[in-house]
Amino acid sequence: MNQKRAGQALIRMAFWAVVAVLVFSFAINSYLSGEMTHWYYYKASTSGYAINDNSFLAATKDKPILLQVVAADQIVGQQAVKVSKGDLLPTGANGVIAEAEVQDGKRVALEGSNLKVMVPTQIKEQSGIKYSDTYRHKGIETNPLSGPWNVGVVLLMGLSLGMLAQAFTDLFGLEFKPTGQTRAH
Amino acid sequence: MFDFPVAGIEIPWLLLVFTGFTVGVVGGFVGVGGGYMVTPALCVFGFPGYMASGIDLTHIAGKGVIATIRHRQLGNIDWTLAMSMIAGTMFGVELGTRVLGFFKEQGLSTVAVLTASFVLMTGLFIYTQYETRQAQRQTVKMEREGRDIGREVVASNLPSVFQAVPLMPIIRCHTARVVVSMWVIVLVGMSTGLLAGFLGVGGGFIRVPALVYLVGTSTHVAVGTDLVEIVFSGSYGAMRHAMHGNVDFLAVMFMLCGAVFGAQFGSIATAYVRGPAIRFILSYSLALAGLGAFLPLFDKLTSSTIWLIGAVAVTLTLGQMIFLCAYILSLFGFALLARRGRWVPAWAMPLLVKPGSHLATAQAPSRLVKGRVV
Repeated sequence: MNQKRAGQALIRMAFWAVVAVLVFSFAINSYLSGEMTHWYYYKASTSGYAINDNSFLAATKDKPILLQVVAADQIVGQQAVKVSKGDLLPTGANGVIAEAEVQDGKRVALEGSNLKVMVPTQIKEQSGIKYSDTYRHKGIETNPLSGPWNVGVVLLMGLSLGMLAQAFTDLFGLEFKPTGQTRAH
Repeated sequence: MFDFPVAGIEIPWLLLVFTGFTVGVVGGFVGVGGGYMVTPALCVFGFPGYMASGIDLTHIAGKGVIATIRHRQLGNIDWTLAMSMIAGTMFGVELGTRVLGFFKEQGLSTVAVLTASFVLMTGLFIYTQYETRQAQRQTVKMEREGRDIGREVVASNLPSVFQAVPLMPIIRCHTARVVVSMWVIVLVGMSTGLLAGFLGVGGGFIRVPALVYLVGTSTHVAVGTDLVEIVFSGSYGAMRHAMHGNVDFLAVMFMLCGAVFGAQFGSIATAYVRGPAIRFILSYSLALAGLGAFLPLFDKLTSSTIWLIGAVAVTLTLGQMIFLCAYILSLFGFALLARRGRWVPAWAMPLLVKPGSHLATAQAPSRLVKGRVV
């Protein structure tokens, strides 16, 4: 009887291990292929300039960095792409500087066909902890399917890991009930 | 170091696994999501604030599933209670969010949230400490009299007041061994949901004491049942966050890898300790979270820029995770030593379930009476 239970536990463990590995591999694969990033930086939620903030993080008021405004499907180096609200973002973009912010001219200004970045970061606060806030994630919209998809994958991952752990303890016959436990039925 | 392209930071992935583990231990043991610890910790690691909340809530949903599976095996979940509470909780969360919106319009949201957090957590801490110490004294006294104690002793007589409410329909929660008006459960769910929505947290640290002190469940059942609530509320919150682009999915996966081990230790440890031990840990967790809310509140009200406050808040956030995790694991360790007849500190003995004693689930009366074993 015990051997039969151990066998069943082994099958369950193998099954949930495979599910957990598949889910984790899917996550790593979508990260490596860039699909995860593409789903995240999906559309522009405001009209402005799509940018990659890594290219101008070193900018200061004294030493601003100029981004060349181009019309392309991909951002390479110090470039920016003009986008309208609802446009798909070019590859490599990780934020949109809103047109209003450019017109304001305090942090970013338009100079001919270049975007002059002077203040790339601001200090903000969350839960009492101060952090450096950049243009990254600003003015973007994620793929609307990403919400239910992400939650579905996370719950599946939780389920597979939880069932795997339970099968593991069942396999070795480990009882986690206090001695003398009797259940009320 | 690992590059998280969505969050835009580079940090060691092991740090996330470790965070997932420590919060998993606390969450599995006390039945809380741990948002009040994880969000500031992720901010310290460099994640933007809004993303820290999103990652936290998404990982809580996944971790909730892991811990729920183990608590189900341990017989700590009352599904009738959980399902009756969910509607009230959801309604309460929506109400709480609207109250928060009102304070936001007045420009008082930060002060209101921090003040409410501080007052609530301090109040709960004081009551939990008082009641748990009474229960501990009761345990020692009963042990001296040679009575079989089981794993739960509650010294509060509040549940008998709420269980006496005669509003129909009256429901019987078999696992919790409680007979109570459904409206009491809905009201408890709504009140705790309101506070959770207003404070922007999962609400486990409010719901667990509410289930024990108002509804009258044992602490173990409160923890297990609350985790079911966390899976539902966490999933809903996670979906909203993901749709707003607040989630780095990869960070969540790494945290879940740590949480799978942490949640196992935390959940399994509940089988080795008595109810007061869980409530003790919960009360310390509340005290630390209350202090964590007080420091930024002090900073806000005095308009001070004392760097020390920030430094203390960061130390507190990371310190409490490690402290609570170490406390739970040491209790677990003492329980194993006690079963082998080895030396265990005197303070720990009343908190541990003795081998051979019967469980509350087998003997519990339908109502809790002051000082009675349940």
